[in-house]
Formats: sequence, structure tokens, C-alpha cells
Amino acid sequence: MIAYTRMYAGWARVAILEQFQYRVANYFYMIGMVAEPVIYLVVWSTVAEQRGGAVGGFTAGDLAAYYIVWTLVRNMNIVLTPYAWEQRIKEGELVTDLLRPVHPVHRDLAYFGGWKLVVIVMWLPIAAVLTWIFRPSLDPSAAEIGLFAVALWGGFFVRFFALWALGLVTLWTTRVSALFELYFTAELLLSGRLVPLSLMPTWVQTLADFLPFQWAFQFPIETLIGRRSTAEIWLGIGMQALWTCVAIGVTAVLWRRGTRRFAAVGG
Amino acid sequence: MNELQYRVNLVVQVFQSALAVATGLVGLWLVFSQTDDLVGWGAPELLAVMGVHIAMGGVIQMVIEPNMAKLMDDVRRGTLDYVLTKPADSQALVSMREVRIWSFVDVVVGAIVLGVAVVNLERSVGWIDAAGFAAALLLGAIMIYCFWLILTTTAFRLVRVENILELFQGVYQAGRWPVAIYPFWLRTSLTFLVPLAFAITVPAESLTSRLTPGTFVLASSFTAALLIVTRIVWRVGLRYYSGASA
Amino acid sequence: MPAIHVDGLTKLYRVPVRQAGLRASVRSLVKRRFRDVVAVDDISFDIEPGEVVGFLGPNGAGKTTTLKMLSGLLHPDAGVVEVLGHTPSHRRREFLSRITLVMGNRNQLSWDLPALDSFELNKSIYRLEPESFVEARDEYVELLGLETLVDKPVRNLSLGERMKVEIAGALLHRPDVLFLDEPTIGLDVTAQRKLREFVAEYSRRYGATVMLTSHYMADVVALAKRVIVIHHGRLLYDGGLGGLAARFASSKKITVTMAAPPADLSPYGPVIARETDKVTFEVSRAETSGLAARLLRDFEVSDLTIEDPPIEDVIERVFEEPGDDWA
Repeated sequence: MIAYTRMYAGWARVAILEQFQYRVANYFYMIGMVAEPVIYLVVWSTVAEQRGGAVGGFTAGDLAAYYIVWTLVRNMNIVLTPYAWEQRIKEGELVTDLLRPVHPVHRDLAYFGGWKLVVIVMWLPIAAVLTWIFRPSLDPSAAEIGLFAVALWGGFFVRFFALWALGLVTLWTTRVSALFELYFTAELLLSGRLVPLSLMPTWVQTLADFLPFQWAFQFPIETLIGRRSTAEIWLGIGMQALWTCVAIGVTAVLWRRGTRRFAAVGG
Repeated sequence: MNELQYRVNLVVQVFQSALAVATGLVGLWLVFSQTDDLVGWGAPELLAVMGVHIAMGGVIQMVIEPNMAKLMDDVRRGTLDYVLTKPADSQALVSMREVRIWSFVDVVVGAIVLGVAVVNLERSVGWIDAAGFAAALLLGAIMIYCFWLILTTTAFRLVRVENILELFQGVYQAGRWPVAIYPFWLRTSLTFLVPLAFAITVPAESLTSRLTPGTFVLASSFTAALLIVTRIVWRVGLRYYSGASA
Repeated sequence: MPAIHVDGLTKLYRVPVRQAGLRASVRSLVKRRFRDVVAVDDISFDIEPGEVVGFLGPNGAGKTTTLKMLSGLLHPDAGVVEVLGHTPSHRRREFLSRITLVMGNRNQLSWDLPALDSFELNKSIYRLEPESFVEARDEYVELLGLETLVDKPVRNLSLGERMKVEIAGALLHRPDVLFLDEPTIGLDVTAQRKLREFVAEYSRRYGATVMLTSHYMADVVALAKRVIVIHHGRLLYDGGLGGLAARFASSKKITVTMAAPPADLSPYGPVIARETDKVTFEVSRAETSGLAARLLRDFEVSDLTIEDPPIEDVIERVFEEPGDDWA
């Protein structure tokens, strides 16, 4: 156990050191990424204005709050892209991973975890600027912030394992882009990334309840902007834990089968 | 075998474009389930904006971005010299040597979306509107090209290719909607800083009979000014490059 | 008990059959045809602990495939492979902690950070005791001369320097078995030598078993007393370096030193080199003693040496053969 903690700390440290070296690239990425929610925000604020102030229960201030917190949640749930596996296999990084006496998922989890710490710090000035421009109605209590922190990392874990599992499909075939793109499109629409799910028709909301997407996106956001009761938040964190376990299970199975196949077919 | 690979690539491209269109349509549909128009633009008109956005995006990815990426690469590796020793205008050469054929799919898809939109417009498109549209598109594309070349020439030393591309792709999404929805400062930036307004909204305005002569004159003069500035920046950049690598 | 035990090891690859032409391409969309390529064909050998073995063969001979099976990356299709008593493909922690695979063109150290940081990371991955970690690290830094290199980002090092820190990192956990796949590729002569000396010293100090593949005969000659030659997936030779020439070299070189060699010596045999007082012939093994006798009889010879051709030439010629006659 201690050995694992030390290993995680080691990887997280490497991540922080490396990503700090790439801080310019990181900042460019984060700034470019802000364009997406800002556009959604402006569009929906315009709609709200035309409807006399609110749409789907969101005022302009509510929308601003939603999409500004969105930027943090989004940064937190960026994880290992499933497309990375193609390179890992081709460039032989997978071989290096297989030679180590630890499961590579630990390395990725620890690395991204460490990276997220850098991301959180870098996000703060961006959030300040956005708040100054768009004036969100945001007033969370200390308890809500605490719960938000839990939900934020919960979202990270759910999406991390979900996409790690998805990426393992590459061990079977390299023709994966169609599958990945479909996944991402579904996620865009059903996670609360494009719009808060309450603005979607009811049948879409029901469908989204059976999928893991919203637990990495909408749920953490709503935890902070005060749209959920404490009981609902605890329930949601439970759902995050549940979906994380499911994803871990799928990952374990796919990894065992996939590496066996990889070893049979040849790297 | 090569042919087969091409076919797979094509299928993948079409699939991705289709997904993007579907997502865009969902977005439009959601907006119009809550309101009848957006800043005075009706559903088919917004669809027209989307069509122009996709098609222009295809043009940018087909002929502009590949050249800029290659330019940055050449400067970094010092191989720009090969271009400079050719007996043709260097700016023309670096701007026209690369083509990413697959992005043509986006141009086609955008044109289809545009076609569907035009068919559904309340007011049919007259000759003047169509001509204005074509002219505005051309001017807009030139402006985007100027923007990219200026950006590449001045910024390549500071930042990597991938970062600039990513940043642009993010900002480009703002062109999905008519710039009128944006707050003043954003609108101005999207007009004069990153000329998305001229590349997308203005041609769409022409098509939807909104284009004022004043805007058109502004577009023309701004294009001319940009071309001149781009030329100057390019020459200065070259001098710096030759000086730096000597 | 041998450190490495291989018996009847076989590995096949299924390779899609590619044909030219449009119709064939379309057909292959629907039903892909495959053909089995034998990468490793029924090879057997045992390596005792502490041995340093050179593993020779041209590209595509099956060397890397064999090493990958020995390190657990690939499953054999037939045969037995045991390393340190483990089945490599089970990839047990105890097994992985006692071996290392170093490949010449691959990095495991972090590119952007100094090697020292990557070493620390390896310490936590392999769960090394702090004292043994520090001891190993300092030992390698000294042996390889890494003092000024380990705190620079790895990407700022030259190829030779990078390989040195890589191998230091790969040995921090003091593995008992080393698989080295082209470790000196692309390095300059000095770096190659330093690396060879290090591997020899490590093996000597810790009794490690080493399997080394290389294109450079100098590596093999310097490090290995035993050589395994593999070609087209089959074991051609397993024995001492000296015996290699005896087995495969079909010719020998005779160099005579005499006061004033005549201009035309071709009646005696093919001349491959000439200096003012030295002439070198290359003849088949059968003719060697005959030619030597004739030269001694006909000339005032002050010196005469008979040599095997250089190992490189021997090996080259082995690999040029179609290979079937050695089966």
C-alpha cells in the first residue's frame, strides 16, 4: 500500500514537472478550449433574453455560472484520449509498459492526477476573467464547495476509466475512429456539455440517466451552482462511484483479454 | 491496395462530417424549440450560416492550414531556404504548395447544408444576393488567409504549430452563429482580429438579403488593407529569418 | 538449473496477403486471406546463470521475436520457454523485477526531465530499498561517467549519452537477466566501447546472465564467449566464437613477408592485398596448406601467417546463403 502511494506520488511529481515545462502549451489549450462554452453561453443567454429573462429555468446569470464552472469541470475530465493507444502500440510504448512490474493504468491515473493539480491552479485566472466578463450568479457555501471538490474528482475518475476502457479496443483493431467519434458525439449531447440536460426533451433526459456521461460533466457543475440538494449530491457521488467501478471492471477484463491477444498476434 | 486505403479514408471523413452536421442540427433544433428566431435570424437562415461555416472550415483545412503548418515546420528546421532559392515569389509558393484533399468533404457537406437552407428561405435569393455572396466568400477567405499568414510569420518562434491550430479551431467555432449575438467587444474581435465575421456571417448576410453596401465596402477595403499588411509582414519576416539563420 | 531454458520454441505470424489490383482489393474487403510466416522455428538452447551470450542474425531472422518471447511480451506458439524458473508470458511481478530488456532505439526515461528524476521513479516502481537504490545509482554514475549528464533533461543529451543513462536506469533494480537488443546501434565508437565495458563489468560483479543481439561484431567479440546464430528463424550455430569461423568460413588468408615479391603471383592463387614486402592471398581451406608449402618452397619467406577471415565477413557470408543447406 505504501509502495503504491510512493509510486503514485512519484508519477504525479513527474507529471507536474513535465507539464510545468509545457505551461505555454497548456495555457494555449485551455484558452482555446474556453471558446466552446463561451459560445454556448452567449447563444443561450441570447435565447433567454428573447424569452424575457430565462430559458428552462436558467437566467443569464445561471447560464454564466453553469458554463464557467463547465470550464473547470471540462479541464478536470480531460483524460487519456482513446486515440493514444494507436500510438502506444505502434511506437512501442506499450512494450515498455508491459515490461514494468506494475499495471500501466496506475501510471496513467497518477500522471493525469498530478497534471490536474497543475490544471486547477492554471484555471483560476481564467475563471477570474470569465467571472468579470459574464457576471455569473454564483454563491456557494463552504459545504457546497467541499462537496463540489469531491464531485469534481469523481467526474475525473469516471471519465478516466471509461475512456481508458474505450481505448483498449485498439488492441483488437486499429479501425477505431468511427467508434470513438460516435462515443464522443453521444457524450456531447447526453452529458450536459452542449446544454444543461434540463433544456433537452424529457426522453433524452431519461436516456441520459442510464449512461455514465452526465456524472463526469453536468453533475459536478450542478453541485457547485446550487441546483442540487445535499441529499441529491450524495446520491450523485454514489452514482459516480458506481460508474467508476463498472468502468474499472470493464477495463480489467479488456486489458487481460487484450494483452493476451496482443501477445499472441505480436507487437 | 492504395485505392482501398483512400476509400477507407473517405468513409471516415464523410462519417465525421456527418456527425458534425448532426450535432449542429441538434443544437439548432434545441434553440428553436425555445424561441422563434435568434437576433432576428430564422431557422433556415441560421442553417445557412452553419452551411457557410462548415464549407469555409473545409476550405481553411484544405488549402490554408496545411500550408501554414508546413511553413512553420520549414522555419523550424531551416528548410525554408529551398523555397527561397526558387525563382518564384516566396509568399505565393509557401501559400499554395500543400493541399489536404480530404477536407473537400467538408466543403461539399457545407454546400449541401447551405443548399437545403437556401431552398427553405422565406425570401428567395436574387442575382445580386448570390453575386454578393460569392464575392463576400472570396473576400472572407482571403482575409482568413492573411490572418493565418500574419499569425504564422510572427508567432512561430514563440509557440508550436499544434497550439496555434488548436486555438484557431476553438475560436473558429464562434463562427457557427451570426456575430450579432456576441457582446460588442467579442463581435469586434471576431471582425477585425480574427475575421470570422467577414468569412461567414457576411456571406450569409448577403444570401439572406441583409447585406448592406456599407458592409461590403468595408469588407473590400479591409481585405485590401490586410493583403498589404500581410505582404509587409512577410517581407520583414523573411529578412528576420535570413538574418537569423545566416 | 539454467537461467534460460528454451526448447522447441516456435512463433508464427499471420500476415495478410496483399495483392495488387482493384478486384483483389475489393475482395479483400470481404474476406481477408492470411498466410503464416514462421518467425522462430523450433529453436532450443540453455543458458547458465552468469553466461554472456551473443545472439546473431540478420534483420528479420527472429532475434527480436525470440527476445520478446523470453521477456514475456509474446506468447510462443509451440515449445517451452523458462527464464529464472518462470514462464515469461505470465508476467509475474517477481519475474519482471528480475529482468530487464533494453532496446537500442527505445526510451523509457522521461524525455523532458533529467535522468535523476526518472531514476527516482524507477525506484518507486520497482520498490527498491533506498540504500540499494542509492548504491546502484551511484555505482552506475561512476562506471559510466554520468556525473554531468544525469541532471540535464534527457532530450538535451547526445545519442551516446542518452543510451548510457538509459542503461543505467534499466539496471537500477539489479536484474539477474539482461536482454540487450542492439544497445549500441547508432553510437560512436567511444560510446560503444564504454557501454560494452559497463555491461561486462555488471555481469562480472553480479553474475548476471546476458543475452545480447547486435549488428556490430565488436560488441559480440568483446562481450560474449558463446554465440547463437539464428537465420530464417532457425538455429544455425550454438557454440564458441572461435568455432564460428571453423564452421562457416570457407576460406583462409595467407600473408607472406618476403624481400622482393615478384610482380605477378597469380599462378599461386588469388592475391587480395599487396605491400612492398607483404602479399596476402585468400584461398579455400582445402588449398591452404598446399599454397603455404609452395610459397615456402619457392621464395625466401621471412614470415608467413595463416588467418581466418574476420568474423564480420564470415557472418556476412553466412547470411548471404539461402540458408536451406544449413538445416
